[in-house]
Amino acid sequence: MSRAGRSSLAVLGLALGATFWLSGGAAPSAPAAQDARQPAWDGARTVPVHLIPLHDENDEPIIPTETNPLPFSARFTCGPCHDYDTVRGGFHFSAAGGRAEGRPAQPWFWAEPRTGTVLPVSYRPWPGTYRPADLGLTAWDFTLLFGRHFPGGGPAEPSEEEILSDPEARWNVSGRAEVNCLACHNRSGRQDHSEWAKQVLRENFRWAAAAAGGVGEVGGMAARLKGTWDIYDGPNLDDREWAVAPYVKYRTADFDSKHSYFFDLNYQPADDRCLACHAASPVDEVQWKADADVHSAAGLRCADCHRNGLDHDMVRGYEGEAADKGDRAVDSFTCRGCHLGEDAKGRVKVEPGRLGAPRPKHTGIPLVHFKRLSCTVCHSGPMPKDGFTRVRTSRANRLGVYGAAAWATDLPAVFEPVYMKDANHKITPRRLVWPAFWARKDGRELVPLRPEEVESAAAGILGADERIGQVLIALTQVMAEDETPVLVSGRFIFGPHIDGGVEATGRNGAEDKGPSFWGIRKGDGIVPLVPDFDPAAEDKDPDIEPRFQEFLQALDTTLGKPGRPVIQVRKTLYRFVDGSLDISEAPEELGEATRPGWIADDALIPLASDLDVRAATAKAGTERTLTEEEVALVLGALTEASEGAEFAYVSGGRMFRLAKGGKLLSEKHEAAEPVTWALAHNVRPAQQSLGWNGCADCHSAGSDFFFSTLEAQGPLLTRSVTKRSSTSFMGLGGFFQGFFGLTFTVRPLLKVVLTVCAFVVGSLLLLAGILALGRLAGLLEKR
Amino acid sequence: MLFVIITALAVAGTFLALAFHRFWTGLDKDRTNLVYVALLGQFWAWLARRSKENARKASMKAWWAYLKALPLWRLPVLEKWLFVFLYGSFLYLAASGFFFAVFVPRGLHGFPLIGHVMAGGLFAVCLTLVVVFKGRNFTSIPEPLELSLKLFDPKRLGLTAVKVKHAAFWAFILAGFLLTLSSLLPMMPLLRTPGQKLMFELHRASALASVLAAMVFAGMGSLEKARGSQPR
Repeated sequence: MSRAGRSSLAVLGLALGATFWLSGGAAPSAPAAQDARQPAWDGARTVPVHLIPLHDENDEPIIPTETNPLPFSARFTCGPCHDYDTVRGGFHFSAAGGRAEGRPAQPWFWAEPRTGTVLPVSYRPWPGTYRPADLGLTAWDFTLLFGRHFPGGGPAEPSEEEILSDPEARWNVSGRAEVNCLACHNRSGRQDHSEWAKQVLRENFRWAAAAAGGVGEVGGMAARLKGTWDIYDGPNLDDREWAVAPYVKYRTADFDSKHSYFFDLNYQPADDRCLACHAASPVDEVQWKADADVHSAAGLRCADCHRNGLDHDMVRGYEGEAADKGDRAVDSFTCRGCHLGEDAKGRVKVEPGRLGAPRPKHTGIPLVHFKRLSCTVCHSGPMPKDGFTRVRTSRANRLGVYGAAAWATDLPAVFEPVYMKDANHKITPRRLVWPAFWARKDGRELVPLRPEEVESAAAGILGADERIGQVLIALTQVMAEDETPVLVSGRFIFGPHIDGGVEATGRNGAEDKGPSFWGIRKGDGIVPLVPDFDPAAEDKDPDIEPRFQEFLQALDTTLGKPGRPVIQVRKTLYRFVDGSLDISEAPEELGEATRPGWIADDALIPLASDLDVRAATAKAGTERTLTEEEVALVLGALTEASEGAEFAYVSGGRMFRLAKGGKLLSEKHEAAEPVTWALAHNVRPAQQSLGWNGCADCHSAGSDFFFSTLEAQGPLLTRSVTKRSSTSFMGLGGFFQGFFGLTFTVRPLLKVVLTVCAFVVGSLLLLAGILALGRLAGLLEKR
Repeated sequence: MLFVIITALAVAGTFLALAFHRFWTGLDKDRTNLVYVALLGQFWAWLARRSKENARKASMKAWWAYLKALPLWRLPVLEKWLFVFLYGSFLYLAASGFFFAVFVPRGLHGFPLIGHVMAGGLFAVCLTLVVVFKGRNFTSIPEPLELSLKLFDPKRLGLTAVKVKHAAFWAFILAGFLLTLSSLLPMMPLLRTPGQKLMFELHRASALASVLAAMVFAGMGSLEKARGSQPR
């Protein structure tokens, strides 16, 4: 063999060797090694019937007819076939690991109206959010606060070390809330998210899945048991009414004779299971007018795009997720991937048209729009409008929990669609919340305070509504059926609210600064609770003093009362002493007045302090929960309690602090900036997309897309709030966009001019071309 | 990136071709028999010398004098302003378009874009008027072609500098027409995304073609001027 031939063979051998080495030494046809925890799919398209034995948290089989059976455990009931530890690494359960895991999503909001707190909280280090540990929230606290919308797992299922490190937590009583497979996969109509929320609130963590899934009926309340109670203690024999130990009575009809339970399960969760935690609806929309996402209307389910394997690493569907996950297949689940076959950079990389996704025509849309805007700008969320659209989301506003008490909250105020540039410099619609919280100033940094820290320092300042409500509720006890005790102040009448606090109704024709008084509403009229009369007169109403006795008796039951109740009429003082009405002359220092009140330290103080009445009146008819006066007082109280540290309150995009004279100052601060996260749904149909009606949908001098203004919302009643325009959120120049929008008014003229020009020039070019061609070919005579 | 490379090569190539043409036509007849290497060497030396001379002469004052001396100002009033607007709009369009295409990754945007659109409208109108009123000045009546080896010999084909200038004029008009069309059609609700992409590429290619045509036209014009000949 020649030298060249030998060389060629050596190179070929090396190449083959390299190929063999790079392929891991396996023959091309050999199947890839399977992860034992993720068994290979056999190709079947059916979901097996889940008639399976239930196991408790000790992996003991459950016999439903036994006395006091334990709740079933997903780890040991579902785990034998679906590796539990693999599942609990999924996106819904792994937040506590603290990894960023892709594009920032909606954080949790620790909303507490009384202290005016709206704190964005996330284990994942996403911008604008606070880590639970930084706020002093343990896994136990976090579960109690947000477990209502957890599918179990994560912080609700702490390790032994975490349990031991938090001795104040009551995990031994409540148990852990394991990953609740049923929360998503249960096809049964019995699956009840409200029941889950209630069981979490009752600290019945280990029972919650059985109760919510309709597997059994759960009674008792771990929250009322002593911290020493253990599940093996069984029922609380000392108390069968109040501190009843949690128990489960299994629905025996769904068990077979071998004690196997029939779970009616979906492989892909149904939409209502996802929407239990992921719904968002405009505040002012009527339910029957609300449309579903266009994909749902077309028959797709959430899980058709938001897929996952056993690892439950959900496809979230944002552009760039494929790079984040290192899996190019994920590109086909973005809008661009599914509808256009493009990856995040616009390269045609994936097969489009999954599940019949239509290819958009985008007729007449200039290319720059696809470079600068995400698909969701034109297609998702509500149409832009001035003031933006206020929405409520399940997790932020506690939606979808039904019962006697109202769970849904107004706080936090969530706005959409706020268009902002994302990490890829593309404008993307987002939801936005302005944070609100009390904080200790540490140099320039603000360290948020927990609401209970504020409460303890500001006792008697916050909670005006509750204190007035307590008085009204006490008085309600002695009112006739058609009577309601009220406080009349300014333009409002305050009546007792069923959940405590007060309910304000408007008072027609009243002045803002009229005197306030306690009264009784009867029909349309209001009479004073304490009428002015001459106590010494012989012809006074004979019923009036017995009524006073009733009022005083009722007021004496007021929670947190600052003294004994009294009624002063002119110079006479009525008191309830030793079961009877005591009538005496009022001390000289009380002067002559007609009023109810509290007597403490020989002073008569009003039933509700002036501060409380002022605060309640100022906030009535608004959803604000704090006044500037209250904030100034609380800041002062916090400073006093901490011996000189400086404090601040953040609300409405501003930071408030006390100046030297006790005046409240507001400033800009980065901690007051809003927290935002991308929105993708609901996707509107093509005819409702931006641009359907032409360029002027956005490009006009006053379009809502560019020129709507958002006024920051916070719990504080103040005029000092941040206002921002759409263009400032987008990082674009407002003047330019206004001017650019104006040019669109002359664009039709430009089109006409260009059309005429193109026609004339084109015709002459054609003519000249034909003539020249004719001459070259000799067909035209030379002239 | 590809467009940037093509633009740079095309502009540089056209410039060098025009320079070489001027160099070649200025050569003594007996020196045209030089070998290619020697010819190339002489060309680079000539180019360097001329560049140096021009650089030495260049100043704001010289430029202003050059502008004032342009025959444009001596044209009748309507004609004068027609060409002022045509040249002005074309210069702005070329400058803004190529600067942003080559140096700004985001491409043309902001106020320069608005200016580009407005200048584009003006350019289209001026171009139309030039074709209607001046196009006749740039026609050469071609001889009927004969199927012979003459077709491969520019000299024997009668390809003169004037004819090249005329061809450049019509190439400029064609490019202008395509520029107008490729700006107009994307604004209409007619084209889908592939059509929009095609128009975008066509706009860039036409813009490059128009610049090259303008360079040839101006180059040939200045050569004529240098020789003291008058255009037909």
